[in-house]
Amino acid sequence: TEKPLTVLHVSLYHPTQDPDTFANVPPKLQHDTNPLLVGRGPDAHLQLRLPCLSRRHLSLEPYREKGGTPLAFCLKALSRKGCVWVNGLTLRFLEQVPLSVVNRVAFSGIQMVVRIERGTSLEAFVCCFHLSSSPLIHRPQAEETDEWESKPQEQPPPSSGQ
Amino acid sequence: MSNFEDADTEETITCLQITVYHPVQLQSGIFQSIRFYNREKLPSSEVVKFGRNSNICHYTFQDKQVSRVQFSLQLFKKFDSSVLSFEIKNMSKKTSLLVDNKELCYLNKIDLPDKCMVRFGDYQLLIEKEDGESLEFFETQFILSPTSLLQENNWPLQKPIPEDGCYSSCSTQDTFPTEMDENEL
Repeated sequence: TEKPLTVLHVSLYHPTQDPDTFANVPPKLQHDTNPLLVGRGPDAHLQLRLPCLSRRHLSLEPYREKGGTPLAFCLKALSRKGCVWVNGLTLRFLEQVPLSVVNRVAFSGIQMVVRIERGTSLEAFVCCFHLSSSPLIHRPQAEETDEWESKPQEQPPPSSGQ
Repeated sequence: MSNFEDADTEETITCLQITVYHPVQLQSGIFQSIRFYNREKLPSSEVVKFGRNSNICHYTFQDKQVSRVQFSLQLFKKFDSSVLSFEIKNMSKKTSLLVDNKELCYLNKIDLPDKCMVRFGDYQLLIEKEDGESLEFFETQFILSPTSLLQENNWPLQKPIPEDGCYSSCSTQDTFPTEMDENEL
């Protein structure tokens, strides 16, 4: 019998609610044990259409912690210009952090919540994407390049292009 | 003259020197696709794979017993550092990867120490990092060792100081290019 795959439940939100931003996001994506690239570029496995996003903005890398555990994930910032905010930590180019079971991620105005449902398979994992029409993160750390405030009621201004 | 003075400051780049040894390296041709002594510059975003499959791997060992992808090196930057760091990850389901005395199973990864001995099967790789400023690129250089990189009773545990005070097994002096016969490559 095949082992159940680890599932990453990924919710995405962008304040402008432009349908084009997440136009290339499939409902479900199965990926092998190589890092999953997120960005604007054609080689991104999760392609998001925002001009201020880097072609390769961040990666989700599957790995295993010592002790015969199932898949864990490490998020690495790949953008030279922008940074990635993860669970309160700001990551700059090449900085990385292991993900927890539930993770709040923000970059270039995008809010992404990743919830990991652990399976036992070591061959592949699955991402299930959900597009949200309301903000996912309350009181996030303001990014240096973005101007929006942390209160969810306030409409953030469109992010200034980089 | 003014070109030299006005040009952007050159950044030094991190160099990873990889000294390899395998007991049947000469007879088997396992290292024939490795360009020894050649310095190769690679982007820091690259995941550098080592293994048997030349379509996937950057560095290939021509050996049926080597996994298609045996292990990989990934670059990252530590929060409190201004230079590149490396992680080594075991990509083989079949074979453990030993990094000094730490055993890595499939998909386990650890930070690569600045100087360490990596082993899988009969393969020995001494990997030494020399820091550079650039975060964009790094460099690799492979060296072929004519003798085993392990010294009985001495590696990987703490070495007792030999009577003659000479630590010869893991220094790169043994692998200095001029001492090697061309035919050995």
